[in-house]
Amino acid sequence: MGKEMIAMLLAGGQGSRLYALTQKLAKPAVPFGGKYRIIDFPLSNCVNSGIDTVGILTQYQPLVLNEYIGNGQPWDLDRLNGGVHVLPPYQQASGSDWYKGTANAIYQNIAFIERYDPEYVIILSGDQICKQDYRDFLKFHKEKNAEFSVAVMEVPWEEASRFGLMVSDENDRITEFQEKPKNPKSNLASMGIYIFNWDILKKYLTEDEADPNSSNDFGNNIIPNLLRDGRRMYSYHFSGYWKDVGTISSLWEANMEVLDPENSGINLFDEDWKIFSRNSGMTGHKISKGAVVEDSMITDGCRVDGTVKHSVLFAGVKVEKGAVIEDAVVMGGSVVKAGAVVKHCIVAENVTIGENTVVGAMPTADSAGVATLGPGVTVGDGAKIGPNAMVSSDVEGGAEVC
Amino acid sequence: MLNSKTSALGIIFPNSYDATVPELANVRLMASIPFASRYRMIDFVLSGMSNSGIDNISLLVNKNYHSLMDHLGSGREWDLVRKNGGLTLFPPNAEKTSLHYTGRISALEGIIDFLRSQKEEYVVMADANIAVNFDFAAMLDAHVASGADVTIAYNETELPDGYKKLSGEDSFYYTFNLEGDRITEIFVNRNREGKQNLSMSIFVLKRELLIEIVDAAFVRGLRYFERDVLMNAFSYLKMNGYKYDGYVARITSLKSYFDENMKLLDDANLNALFDTAPVYTKIRDDNPTRYIAGAKAENIMAADGCVIEGEVENSILFRGVKIEKGAKVKNCILMQDTVVKAGADIEYIITDKNAVVSELKTMRGTDTYPIYVTKHATV
Repeated sequence: MGKEMIAMLLAGGQGSRLYALTQKLAKPAVPFGGKYRIIDFPLSNCVNSGIDTVGILTQYQPLVLNEYIGNGQPWDLDRLNGGVHVLPPYQQASGSDWYKGTANAIYQNIAFIERYDPEYVIILSGDQICKQDYRDFLKFHKEKNAEFSVAVMEVPWEEASRFGLMVSDENDRITEFQEKPKNPKSNLASMGIYIFNWDILKKYLTEDEADPNSSNDFGNNIIPNLLRDGRRMYSYHFSGYWKDVGTISSLWEANMEVLDPENSGINLFDEDWKIFSRNSGMTGHKISKGAVVEDSMITDGCRVDGTVKHSVLFAGVKVEKGAVIEDAVVMGGSVVKAGAVVKHCIVAENVTIGENTVVGAMPTADSAGVATLGPGVTVGDGAKIGPNAMVSSDVEGGAEVC
Repeated sequence: MLNSKTSALGIIFPNSYDATVPELANVRLMASIPFASRYRMIDFVLSGMSNSGIDNISLLVNKNYHSLMDHLGSGREWDLVRKNGGLTLFPPNAEKTSLHYTGRISALEGIIDFLRSQKEEYVVMADANIAVNFDFAAMLDAHVASGADVTIAYNETELPDGYKKLSGEDSFYYTFNLEGDRITEIFVNRNREGKQNLSMSIFVLKRELLIEIVDAAFVRGLRYFERDVLMNAFSYLKMNGYKYDGYVARITSLKSYFDENMKLLDDANLNALFDTAPVYTKIRDDNPTRYIAGAKAENIMAADGCVIEGEVENSILFRGVKIEKGAKVKNCILMQDTVVKAGADIEYIITDKNAVVSELKTMRGTDTYPIYVTKHATV
C-alpha cells in the first residue's frame, strides 16, 4: 500500500553565511539550543506529524550529517517500511551529477519516492528552526483541493523585499509569486515548505529537467511554471515560531530566544511536541559551590565552576572558576578556562578558551557583532577576540583578533 | 574486549538486596532504583558487561520488575539488541520454578535448560546493588590465567552500616579470608570492625561447572549459592578473590543511598565512577535544564529536563524536576519529575518519582535520617 505523504528534506545547503561554523559541516548539522542540531526540528516535526518516511538530500560536507542521522533511531525513524534515508547524489549509467538545484535534487530521487507510491510529497528545508504540525498543512491542502501548497509567514512590510512572496486572493489561492521584489505586493513570505500532489510534482520535475535553460530550482522554476499553467496553488498561513538561522546573528538570536520561551514562542519544554536528538550519553551536569548560573540552559555533562548568565551551554561544556559567560552560545565539549570572559558570541564545538582570554563584547551603540569561534579552535591564554571576529584557526596566547 | 577463546555470558540478579532498601524497592527492585541523577542501578553492571564484549545477558528477575522492563526496553541503549544473545529477561516462572524464587540456586535452576543450550564457555554473574564501572573482561582474563574454578570480586572496605544491621531472611553479605589470591575462608554476615574483604557478588566460572553446581544443589534443596554451596566447597573447588580497587558505590540502606548519591557531588568521585568507560541508560529526550532568572544553584548535580526557578543547594536532581519560584531545596535527592512548589522549603528529603511538595510546605529530615517521600505522593 502506498503512503499518504512522504517528506523530502533539502539538506544540501552549504550555509556559507555561517562561515567558520559550516566549513566542515552542512548547515542542517549545525548545533542548536543546547542539545539539538538544526535538522532535529524538521525530523521531529515529521515524526510528530505521523510522517514515517523521510528522504534527506545531502550534498555539501555530508559526513557529520550522515553519521548523526545513522539509522534514524533517535527520531523513531528506523522503520521496516519507510524510515529515514540519506540520499546523496550518485553515479548513474549516463554519468554522475551533483544536485544542480533544489528541484534537480528531488528529480534525481524520483525512483526513491515512487517506491512508496505517495499521494503527496512535502518538501522541507533543513535549515530552519520551526515547530510545525504538517498534518494541519496537509488538511488545508486537501480541503482546498490544491495541487500545490506553500507554507507562508507574515513578515513586516518593510522587510518583505528580502523574501520570496506569495500574492494570493481572498481564498488563499496564489495569483503571483515575487522573488525578492523591489515593490512587494504581499507580505506573505514563503517558508520553503511545500506540499505537492505527487503526480503534479513528478510531471513538473520531469519537464523542468528537460529544459536546458532551467536552474532546476523550486523558487525560480517550478513555482513559476505551475503559475504559468494556472495550477491550483494555495498559501497556507503559519503563525508559529519560524526562523531561518542562515546567519551568525540569526543563529545567535534564535538560541537566545530559546531562553525566553514565554515571549519568543519557541518552547523546547513541550511534552506534546518533543524535539528528538541523538543523545550525548553524559552524566548530569554539575554546578559547583560558588558558581553562578542565571537565566540559562545547561545540558548533561557540563561542569560549571564560574559564572554563566543568559547563555546556552551544550553537552559537556566546562566553565572554570572565575570565568564569566554572558549572552553566549557555547557548543558541546568546549572548555572556558579560569578568568576568561566570554560575551555575546558563538563558541562552536570542542573549542578551548585559554585563561584570562576575552572573547566578544556586549553590544554598544557602534557595534553589535557576534564574535564566532569555529569548531576545535584553541585560543591561547590572555588573547583578545573582538566582537566582530570570525575565528577558524588557533589563536596564540596574548594575540588580538578583531 | 573478550578474545575469541574466552567467551562469557552474563547473568544479573536484579532483585538481590531489595530488602536492604524497602522504601525504594517497594514499587520496584534494586536494579531499577534511580541513581546519580539520570541512571538506574542496573545501568552500571549492564554497561560494564556490554563494554566488556559480553552480549548475551540474562536477567533473572523475581518480582516488581515492571519498572525494569520499562527501563530496559529491547536493550538498545546498552547495544544489546542482538540476533544471537542480547538481553533476555527471565520472569521467575519462565520454566520450572514457582512464582518467586529464593536464592540464586533456584533462580538458576529455572533457566538450567537455557544454560545448557548456550555456547559460551564462561559465565559472569552479578547483582545490581553496586554502582561500579567494572571491567568484566579483565576479571575474566584473571580468572582464566589463575586456573581457579570460581573467582569472586571483592573490595577492601569497612562494612557498610546497612549491612551491620542486616537481619533479613535472605539478605546476606560475605567476607573472605585470603592467602594471596586464594580464598581460604568465607564468612556470612560476620560483623567486624576495620577493613574487610567484602564480596561484590560478581562471580566468574565455567558454564559447565555452574550447571553441575546448580543441579547438585537444587536436588539437595540448597538455596544460596554462597552460603550453601561455596562456603562448603573448599575441598573440591579452587576459589580465588579478585580485588577491585576502583570506585564502588554500594547501596545497603536508604541512608547509604542518600550518602552514595551525595558523594558524587565531589568531582573526584564522579570522575572515578564515570570516566573509565561509558555508562549507558534509557534516553528520555528531555530538553536541557533551564535556570530561570532568579534561580540560585550551588553544589548540585542535575540531569536534563529540569526547570529551576528557586534555590537549590547540595542536591541531586533527576530528569524533569521542577523547583518553583521562592522554593528552597537543600541536601535533597529529587527523583524524576518531582515538583517543589513555590515557597516550599525542604531539607534532607528524598522524593521518589512524580512526588509533589506543596506550596509553602516546610519539611526537614536530618543528616542521619533523610525523609523519604513515595512515588506520586503529594506532601
